[in-house]
Amino acid sequence: MEPSPSADAANVGTEGVYVYGIVYAEADRLTADLRGICEQPLELISSDSVAAVVSRVGDADLSNRRELLTAHARVVEGLNATGCVVPVRVGQVMPDHQAVAAELLAPSTEHFHGLLDALLGRDQFIVRAMYNEPAVLAEVVQASPEIARLRERTRELPEDVGHADRLRLGELVANELDYRRRGDGAIVMDAVSPYVAAHVMHEGTDVHRLLEAAFLVDEDCRRGFEDALEAIAEAMSERVRIQLLGPMPPYDFVGG
Amino acid sequence: MTVTSTQRRGGGYLERPAPSGLADVVELILDKGIVIDAYVRVSLVGIELLTIDARIVIASVDTYLRFAEATNRLDLYEKGKDLPEVIQEMQEGGAQKKTSGAIKGVKKAITGGDDDEGSSGRPAKKSSSRRRRQEA
Repeated sequence: MEPSPSADAANVGTEGVYVYGIVYAEADRLTADLRGICEQPLELISSDSVAAVVSRVGDADLSNRRELLTAHARVVEGLNATGCVVPVRVGQVMPDHQAVAAELLAPSTEHFHGLLDALLGRDQFIVRAMYNEPAVLAEVVQASPEIARLRERTRELPEDVGHADRLRLGELVANELDYRRRGDGAIVMDAVSPYVAAHVMHEGTDVHRLLEAAFLVDEDCRRGFEDALEAIAEAMSERVRIQLLGPMPPYDFVGG
Repeated sequence: MTVTSTQRRGGGYLERPAPSGLADVVELILDKGIVIDAYVRVSLVGIELLTIDARIVIASVDTYLRFAEATNRLDLYEKGKDLPEVIQEMQEGGAQKKTSGAIKGVKKAITGGDDDEGSSGRPAKKSSSRRRRQEA
């Protein structure tokens, strides 16, 4: 384990070492233009074949959440652009360089190396598919006589009357949407699954959302992945919008 | 070296919103990544809990009433029009609903209110080329 060349004597107390991510240990891994929280220089702390990317922080630096989140994201994105990185969660601070090497890296070198190997040559994307509400509600009304009937009955009534009917109408519509969500979500998943190495589903409250998932995609499969999404977006365009985010660091595929 | 193209292919139906600020970042990274058993951890616990709770799908009276209202408002049977045509008109004119209030509340708490909606229609900013390493 090697302390960084510019390390001062350990400065415990109000200072710590903020960890952004874990990378393969390579001499030229960092670029000078990429800075950490409060513009601090990044440092590489190695242990065997893996290394942690860190910067020094004081208590004051940590109190500004906006700066913290922005800098963290910027550093991880920057590392992802120039190689492979295992992102560390926002807000992880260790006492000093020795602790990073001895307590974070050394006990888990194989594990981190394995993660990096699994991520090498792959990018993460996030796909969101959302219903066009008027279109899908019209479908639901057309498909269900009971919904159509309740709709007719309740739309004539003033606000303070017909509460039970409205609840029933809303519940039926909600159930129909749940049913369609599953089917439509599966259609999108089927379209992309030949091109993905791994996926993680995201849960959500947005009632319009029929799917959100993170995908890990080989560089070689990326074109096919995007083309498949473009094709399915076009096929479903009258009732569903599909958004593609990324490529981005593999936040969803490192556990933790 | 991966050559990236920002040219939109095909019919342009797939939306690629550009990352538009802190709110998007927060949502993507807040509870993701390796957790270290560290001696100091920035206290984001309250916000983490909010984010996680907001992700639980809740079927509630409010939701049902909202669906009923939205279904009632559909203008399906205008004189002389058939359904597909009416749907197309609704799509063209209809405003898209915003995401749930809980997520927006979390974003506001962290970003101080500058909640940018990701805009569609622009190619996503892609990461620059990555070196491909050879395994030894």
